[in-house]
Amino acid sequence: MDREEIQATIINFIETNFEMSDVGLDDDLNAVHGFDSIDAIELLREIETLMKTKLTRDEEEAAMTIRTVNQIVDFIEKAMAERA
Amino acid sequence: MERRVVITGCSGITPIGCSKADILKHLESGTSGVGRIRDDELLVEQLNTSVFGTVDEELAYDFPRKYRKTMGPVSLAACRVVDDVIKQSGLDRTFLSSGRVGVSFGSSHGSTVVLKKVYQACFNAQSTDMFSLSAADYLKSMVHTTAVNITRMFGITGRVISSPSACTTSSQSIGFGYEMIKFGVQDAMICGGSEEYDTTTVAVFDNLLACSTHYNDTPHKTPRPFDAERDGLVVGEGAGAVMLEEFESARKRGAVILGEVIGFSTNNNGGNLIMPDLAGVTQVLEMGLENAQINADQIDFISAHATATRIGDVIEARAINNVYGNKPWVSGLKSYMGHTIAACGVIETILTLYMMEKGFIVPTLNLDQVDDRCAMIRHTPQLMETNIQYAAVQNFAFGGINTSLILKRLFKK
Repeated sequence: MDREEIQATIINFIETNFEMSDVGLDDDLNAVHGFDSIDAIELLREIETLMKTKLTRDEEEAAMTIRTVNQIVDFIEKAMAERA
Repeated sequence: MERRVVITGCSGITPIGCSKADILKHLESGTSGVGRIRDDELLVEQLNTSVFGTVDEELAYDFPRKYRKTMGPVSLAACRVVDDVIKQSGLDRTFLSSGRVGVSFGSSHGSTVVLKKVYQACFNAQSTDMFSLSAADYLKSMVHTTAVNITRMFGITGRVISSPSACTTSSQSIGFGYEMIKFGVQDAMICGGSEEYDTTTVAVFDNLLACSTHYNDTPHKTPRPFDAERDGLVVGEGAGAVMLEEFESARKRGAVILGEVIGFSTNNNGGNLIMPDLAGVTQVLEMGLENAQINADQIDFISAHATATRIGDVIEARAINNVYGNKPWVSGLKSYMGHTIAACGVIETILTLYMMEKGFIVPTLNLDQVDDRCAMIRHTPQLMETNIQYAAVQNFAFGGINTSLILKRLFKK
């Protein structure tokens, strides 16, 4: 799965499941779209499904500082590379 | 300091309607809201009973997602009736968030459809090593989910009381809310209960041989409280809310007052968790009158718990006779919709308020032949045009908990 595919999947998930619209790659998800910790945990579960693997506790805690879609994609690419 | 407590809003989602007009129409025409149980693809085929008090109306729960995301169906229904009572009461957001307003609201369980998903995730994890739960699943399935979702959606910052006591959940909610205001702890309380469609509850009663099974092909003929041919209860779904306020502040702001709560009592039988107890029920009825500081002969109408079980109705009739004799009219309102468990106390309170306002009392539906063992009380024979000045709403729960609420009409007809 390349970067564009991951981006599209994540944006589609956020817009569909979190009912947010026009989500930009560098939007601060909390400030602009009201994304909160409940959404973040739900997104982590989706990322695990996407990667077909469980995230470690350290990875999950690191993910909680993420603010934008671009940062989410960076996070997924890094986690996938470490497992390759 | 003891203060008077009045009701300035009420709303129900019931098997006989989700608006005052629809509920009154069903009551006046004697139309039952009991139908065939919906298939849950889990338990229905294994049940002996096939009847259920269903809410068939498709309701819009178009709350913003930021509120909706932590709600299962039980909280969606709760927030809808609460939205109604806040609008009816006319109380503004500033007051709701002042810390002087609290919530007393409950359900038998958290959202049961979400709880099933949680258990499913556990079983899936055993076979796949993947344990995937939504972060919101706990917030939807915890037992005080209705109360706290109400606080979040409506910005309420006062006390939260959540009393998941099965069939007395919402009567206790009203009673505990009444006490909060009466004793000056809060100035207003949003009270009620909600019960989500759930076949596990039906299965429990079914296993105990407490569910009606002889009327599966004629659901509107059951339940039959106090009737010689009754054969058990019918589980239902629904929700209800009332706004309780301190009388003087409600009067000063010109609120429409639907009635006054003048008394509340609750006790427990201190013994068997399933079987009703004549001494415990009699005592709670006496304590309700004592709390209201009125005499038994002042009560005009009793909304009986009357689930239509073989033993429960007999014990209740005897307790009513012990305390009230045979003067007040008695009706079992579950005959119209089944037993909405956590919501029944508040729904029966709302129906009683409607009858107080309109000046009539409806009979127990399906009461064709009074069981001799229940004949010592004054059953409402047909729709009676009569004023209710004082009414008692009584409920009894698994676990041995009993409640009695005493209501008074304040407005002039």
